[in-house]
Amino acid sequence: MGPKSILKNSIPVSSSSPSAKPVNERHLEVALYHANLIKEQRDVEEQILKATLTLLDFPSAPGANPARPSIADALQFRTLIIPFQPSDYDSLIEERNIADLCGYALCPKPPKRAPLAGKLQFVDTKDGVQIVNKKELEVWCSEECARRALYVKVQLNEEPAWMRRGGIGDKIDILVENTEDHRIVLPLRPKHKESDANKDDGETNQDQEDEQEAWALREEAMAELAQERGDRNAKSTKKGLIKATIEERMTVKTPVAPSTEVQHGGAAHMAIEGHIPKADMPKKSVDGQDEDEEDNDWDD
Amino acid sequence: MDSDRRESPALIRLWRIYKTTKEMCADRGYEMIDEDLEISLAEFKSRFSKESDGEPDRSRMHFSAKPSTLMLAKYTDPPTPKNPDPQPQTGSLWIEFTPDENVGLKQLRDFMQHLVTGNYWSGILICPKPITGMALRLLRGSGGLDEGPPGGVEVFVEQDLLVNITKHELVPKHVLLSKEEKNQLLARYRLKETQLPRIQVTDPVARYLGLRRGQVVKIIRRSETAGRYASYRWAI
Repeated sequence: MGPKSILKNSIPVSSSSPSAKPVNERHLEVALYHANLIKEQRDVEEQILKATLTLLDFPSAPGANPARPSIADALQFRTLIIPFQPSDYDSLIEERNIADLCGYALCPKPPKRAPLAGKLQFVDTKDGVQIVNKKELEVWCSEECARRALYVKVQLNEEPAWMRRGGIGDKIDILVENTEDHRIVLPLRPKHKESDANKDDGETNQDQEDEQEAWALREEAMAELAQERGDRNAKSTKKGLIKATIEERMTVKTPVAPSTEVQHGGAAHMAIEGHIPKADMPKKSVDGQDEDEEDNDWDD
Repeated sequence: MDSDRRESPALIRLWRIYKTTKEMCADRGYEMIDEDLEISLAEFKSRFSKESDGEPDRSRMHFSAKPSTLMLAKYTDPPTPKNPDPQPQTGSLWIEFTPDENVGLKQLRDFMQHLVTGNYWSGILICPKPITGMALRLLRGSGGLDEGPPGGVEVFVEQDLLVNITKHELVPKHVLLSKEEKNQLLARYRLKETQLPRIQVTDPVARYLGLRRGQVVKIIRRSETAGRYASYRWAI
């Protein structure tokens, strides 16, 4: 028995009762909304962590060639990498280096060893000898791997995955040599071959081909342009050319000073900076110009 | 003193870290042998230095610890009608000093695997440098992920264990309360636990004591007017 209260003998303080109904339904909704946001964020982080763990053991075959990865590996790599941010990708490279692997996830070789033992290394560049940290040299197995890995990195979306809207940045290309094998999965389209084959099908056919190709090229160009501009909703933009007819707005009249009290008589007390809302006013005959003036300029 | 000077700085450093680690385990309530707590530098050298160059060999320094009966009692919840025979929420501990400079996901996962196969309740990994970001993420999420021991894994950087922070004169004494003591405290002051002041589990002393969320520590300070002053903190 705990010590007795010196205050009046009221009902004992009930221990916290979680079953009690929330005071306001709205509070619950708000709390749930934010909790779900946090959960989503957690889920994405776990997904990235699991992807990193998988990619740490990549590629599946020890003798894999990074320039010609197997289709299964490449496809898995490209799907796993989608939720990554560039910083996550950097961590993946770091983890792979610690595990003594080349930073590019599809390469099984160990990274290059720096020639000197010291912490800082000399590197010959165009602009003369530069001193760089040893760690920066021991990331990739070769220049090509560095290029391939960075090619992926620049395509990653900077926005965290839980903030992204659906359908954007969920296509990652990789640099490969055996493009033909990956054609089903890669969006690279070697058009010219096809058109070459159809050359002797006659003039009309050729024309059609040309036209189609031109349209395809245009579409590609538009997509590229959209990406370059950073259009978020590239898909929602209209497919065809915009046919716009510009109409000049002709009905321009000279601005009229706000009506004075005398004009509106008894309704003056309703005026808001000279304007009288007509919502609960008796309908009165005003000329068309006045109608124009009250054109919802308080709405937005 | 002269003999100390002749040892390599790395060995002296690691000797102090080793001692702090042992003290930490003892303060948490694990059973420790007194000789281990006051190991001399010479003995440390004979046990853990490499024959060739006198440098310390971290891979030989690992040890395990068993909780004392006092600690077991402290970590056991009071029996309830639903659960008349509660099991202590603690168990054996495995401590490893990793020789790797960089600790990433791979090393951490191997360590967890080792703890699981060895049936340890929890583990402490002491590494020379901070672990990578991804490894930190794995550590935070290890409760959710199905791998890893039930008591979780703690990672310390060697630098943090160079001195025993609880021996500093400005650090008050922290005493962990058992579930039963906590309930008594809450009843005594008619509080809900949310009404207690808080301490973060990432607080240096909280990390030293291995506090978990929801536990309460009693902090005993010296007071000029009252002699002693106790306050309580709820780990969050």
